[in-house]
Amino acid sequence: MPKTYDAIVVGSGMTGGWAAKELTEAGLNTLVLEAGRMVTTADYVEHVPPWQVKFRGLDDRRTRSADQPIQRECYACDEWSSKFFVNDHENPYTTPPDKPFLFLRGRQVGGRSIMWGRQVYRWSDLDFEANLRDGIAVDWPIRYADIAPWYDHVERFVGVSGEKLGLPQLPDGQFQPPMALNCGETMVRDAIAKQWPGERVVTVGRCAILTESLNGRAACHYCGYCERGCITRSYFSSINATLPVAQATGRMTLRPHSVVHSLIYDRDRRRIGGVRVIDGETKHAIEFRGRLEFLCASTLESARILLNSATREFPTGLANSSGELGHNLMDHIMGGGANGKIDAPADKNPVGRRPNGIYLPRFRNLQGGPKSPFLRGYAYQGGAGREGWGRGTDLPGFGADWKHALRDPGSWGFGFYGFGECLPNHDNYVEIDKDTKDAWGIPALRIHCVYGDNEWALMKDASISAAEMLAAAGARDITPFVDHNPPGKAIHEMGTARMGRDPKTSVLNAHNQAHDIPNLFVTDGACMASTANQNPSITYMALTARACDYAVGAMKRREI
Amino acid sequence: MDRRSVLRLLGVATVGATATDLEAIGRALHRRLGHGTPLRILDPHQNATVVALSDVILPATDTPGAKAALVNQFIDLLLAEWFSPEERDRVLAGLANVDARAKTAFGKDFLDGTPTEQIALLTALDDETARWNASPQATRGPEPFYHQLKWLTLFGYYTSEVGAEQEEHYAIIPGRYVPCAPADTVAAPE
Repeated sequence: MPKTYDAIVVGSGMTGGWAAKELTEAGLNTLVLEAGRMVTTADYVEHVPPWQVKFRGLDDRRTRSADQPIQRECYACDEWSSKFFVNDHENPYTTPPDKPFLFLRGRQVGGRSIMWGRQVYRWSDLDFEANLRDGIAVDWPIRYADIAPWYDHVERFVGVSGEKLGLPQLPDGQFQPPMALNCGETMVRDAIAKQWPGERVVTVGRCAILTESLNGRAACHYCGYCERGCITRSYFSSINATLPVAQATGRMTLRPHSVVHSLIYDRDRRRIGGVRVIDGETKHAIEFRGRLEFLCASTLESARILLNSATREFPTGLANSSGELGHNLMDHIMGGGANGKIDAPADKNPVGRRPNGIYLPRFRNLQGGPKSPFLRGYAYQGGAGREGWGRGTDLPGFGADWKHALRDPGSWGFGFYGFGECLPNHDNYVEIDKDTKDAWGIPALRIHCVYGDNEWALMKDASISAAEMLAAAGARDITPFVDHNPPGKAIHEMGTARMGRDPKTSVLNAHNQAHDIPNLFVTDGACMASTANQNPSITYMALTARACDYAVGAMKRREI
Repeated sequence: MDRRSVLRLLGVATVGATATDLEAIGRALHRRLGHGTPLRILDPHQNATVVALSDVILPATDTPGAKAALVNQFIDLLLAEWFSPEERDRVLAGLANVDARAKTAFGKDFLDGTPTEQIALLTALDDETARWNASPQATRGPEPFYHQLKWLTLFGYYTSEVGAEQEEHYAIIPGRYVPCAPADTVAAPE
């Protein structure tokens, strides 16, 4: 009889790390299954300069286009960090030809928390009430008051630097001192504040990067390449923060190379009995037993595991009595914005590479404000900077004087890049593609997802608003744009196992617990009932910690 | 599970480490082989031409130039392993065309020209490229070879150890963020 763990966590990334930490700290013997390899700080390459990589950062484009033609679409999948992204041939998925979707994945201990963008923004009731207010999809079963203490809990441990603004649509949190805006950014901030006082606010990004040491992790040293790792553990990842704490309890068993095939349903107890795993190296099937199962495998991988776990009782996928499993897939739409040149001080230039930019919170369709001809809203990331030696290609001249002139920084530029809310839509869904299997013989996903008119209207408005703000800041050569990014590119995929109040229309309840199966929790992005426009990771983390607390209580009450 | 890996994972208390320590760790962990790679695509004449062209674009001043930074070796690597065969052939044809232009201008290969003759030819190429740059993108025709060479030279130089450290004063670990520093401190030695 194999050992029964108190809990099994599938995934070791952003949410899996939190589940591991919270469950082991609550006393549970916890097995963490990770599909990919072990990653240690020896894999970190953030201090390797360009001259020590073969193509100096131009990337090994032949190998990349052969092995990672999809992953390379992510900016972080470069000559240094491509090892943190999957091989596309080993990890196939399909789409209809007219519905491209970018499925960007990191399969290793740490998951995508190694290469994430580190931006941290709380949601507010503007977001949690949005579906109810608009009569779209289903109402969130929670409100800000339910999650606020859990935001506090995770932010204190993550270490979030940021500026308090007192904005109702973007609640303040437990912040370390903010990083600084450079003089191009303060100039634009002040011009916008003058034109749209109280309405449009430029602040420095709230990010999961330390500006003060915390729990043995050092403050940022501004090398600038977080997605390559961080030997001082200054930014938050599961490797840098949560997994070491779980390990220190002595109650975590972390098993890399454990590709979860499916969950095992115990029909007598009407519970999940365990997990069916394909060993990533030997390709042998193994089973593990646990009293409690946390799916933290990422939105699409968690959906895939549940769809691949169909039984006689759940013929369309485990815990799918609602029929909503796999449906309502969303990703932030991004890429409406504008660039321009600004007249910031020519005698000033930042020193250091700040791994963070500006943030301009949502200002459309706020409660009590004017209504736009679209639903919901968007926010901007971006920032100011000066041209470097790269401008030399188009700078007439050559020789000693020209070389010397390139020592001075070039023009100041400013860019706004919009991230917009994506509405939930039942017709955006994933299913199992029985004809396509991954390198471990597990059926792959077929993804059907397109943006709708509302998403494109948001980006069009984001482009126009960005241009008008640059104009207000006196910018020249203003270039508005709307990038036609396919869904998936923002890597904020959400939905497929949404939370809701009614078991007939949602997969999970207010505690991320499956309506149909009490010992099954899904706490990654799959649980989301809408997307807001804020980067989602901190909300996943808060929901995970909250669900762990509930699950441990339910076990103590012998409900599970 | 790999116990040693986990111990390594947990044993990274680097608080208090200085920028110099970190840099040393980074270098020790990731040191790569140095120069000395034999050329794979450029023949000796082509190579000498690339060396000469790149060093006219970025000559030695109070810091080393493109020749000392071995920009030619990096370009050879790109030709061998990075460019597609068609792109590689266009670069080599562009290089041959420099000699054709040199023969028309002063009756010799580029390499055999005097410094004055070489600079005059590069000035002509630079002016043509500036005109190309200023014309509308839709109608201006393909990228001139000289434009591409200029980019390859700049990139190869500033991403080399010589160019990054001595010319640009690139700091792998700045250790701080100063949002509005005087611009002249950027290129100043630490």
